[in-house]
Amino acid sequence: MSQAICSRCGQSFAIKSLFDLNGVTYCEACAQTASKEAREQGHPASYIPLINKSICARCNAYIGSSPDNAQIGTLRFCAACAPLVKDWDYPQWLKLSLAAVLLLLVASLAHGRKYFQAGREMYIGEHLVKQGRYASALLHLQETLRIAPASDKAALLAAKAALLSGDVASASKALQDHNGGRFENAEKPEFKEVSGLWNRATGALEKAEQAEKLEEEDGKEIEAARLMHEAAVTYPEMPGLAFAAESYDEGVAFLKHDYDAFLAIAEKQWKQQNLPQTAAAVASALACKYAITADIIYRQRSEEMFKTARQLAQGNADALKGLDEFEARNIYRLESRTIISKQEYDRRFRSIKVSK
Amino acid sequence: MFFIPGPVIAALTFPGVIIHEAGHLFFCRLFKLQVFDVCFFRFGNPAGYVVHQEIHDFRAQFFVSMGPFFANTLLCAIFCTTAFLPVWELKVFDPLAYFFYWLGLSIGMHAFPSTVDLSHLWAQAPGLARKGNVLAIVSLPVAALLVVLNYGRVIWADLGYGLAVGVFAPIAIFRALALIGV
Repeated sequence: MSQAICSRCGQSFAIKSLFDLNGVTYCEACAQTASKEAREQGHPASYIPLINKSICARCNAYIGSSPDNAQIGTLRFCAACAPLVKDWDYPQWLKLSLAAVLLLLVASLAHGRKYFQAGREMYIGEHLVKQGRYASALLHLQETLRIAPASDKAALLAAKAALLSGDVASASKALQDHNGGRFENAEKPEFKEVSGLWNRATGALEKAEQAEKLEEEDGKEIEAARLMHEAAVTYPEMPGLAFAAESYDEGVAFLKHDYDAFLAIAEKQWKQQNLPQTAAAVASALACKYAITADIIYRQRSEEMFKTARQLAQGNADALKGLDEFEARNIYRLESRTIISKQEYDRRFRSIKVSK
Repeated sequence: MFFIPGPVIAALTFPGVIIHEAGHLFFCRLFKLQVFDVCFFRFGNPAGYVVHQEIHDFRAQFFVSMGPFFANTLLCAIFCTTAFLPVWELKVFDPLAYFFYWLGLSIGMHAFPSTVDLSHLWAQAPGLARKGNVLAIVSLPVAALLVVLNYGRVIWADLGYGLAVGVFAPIAIFRALALIGV
């Protein structure tokens, strides 16, 4: 059984040394010749060891010449392996797992919509910060913080945008809402940058607060104006400080009896911002001018400006309260043509009322 | 650098192994190759395999060898992108997001083709590249890089690759979307 005959040369050979070409058995030398001839005639030319025909190429089981065997390409397989090799299907558990993962992915995408929105707002905000459009950036970053207040990046970017647009309150909120102002890494350049900005802004606000207190004291107008100017220079991003410093210059001009300067500054501020306070300041300066010139035009204009201030203050309780206080002094100035400070007026007239 | 046995890593990141082998099988089926055996996961080395017939067509060889690399990379990018924002940027604790990030990293970690896959590609590519085969020309530098990275597995190059895809792909995607105003 271990010998077979080459169909071409008729000699007997060991089976393991014979080959199969298109179902015909050849010895090695004849197989090469037959293969060459088959190629020239356009027939399949590849031949395989005869022994391979009787062993399954996958499971190595002896398959002999059973009719159930299958030849796929140049290899032969047993009846069990042949369909598997021909079309190795995906196992059921793999199909189910992939379907489950895909379902989870869809669920995750739906679930993550708010994160995508928050992330999108953050990246837009970051981009705007890089462009120096801080106020616009802050709106986007606040939207991110609404969903993710613990995000270091969003909180620091929002604080930066707020501080560089002069909005210290928003910066404070962004930082405080982030774990009470605690951050993972205080050595990060982003944190250091915001920390530096924060210190500069709060330093300026402290000076402004001192200036406000001094301004209420008689004769401290010059020092108050100096402090407010320092605050404005320290934190130029907050335009309110520069505006306040300028208004404090009105106090200095008043103290120096330079009523032309007082009027010029007040009118400039009125042009910049139509507020009850700026209108009242113009009314005050015009009253001073009337007091020293007796020119009735100044008086009329002062009274008109005061009316304007009242109109602007409608619905603003604080502004109305301030105007109520100022009205009595301005009438006194216009009626008596005497220029005295608020503190002096209070001392002369209001403290008496209180003591009575 | 600390050592964790391969089977432990494979167990912790088993979805990546399964997806990698499923990728091999997918391309074998696509190119109608005979598949002799498939193991999607096991506690051994390799953790999975697909035994298929010898491939003579370079295009089939390229996709069977490199297909799982591209598929795993793509899936890693997708899964990590869904979870990237809450995990990395927004610092929101969301268990589902962490699950997806683990899944994405597991898949990305097993993106590299094995040295056996690369050796088949490497054997055919230079000759075909000289004949102007575009796929062979493209595959040469990629295969060379992957051979190096494969050796780098001892220093966690596979984890590094997964993290790189799982971090930089989402950042790139989200920044691009933000820039174009989507």
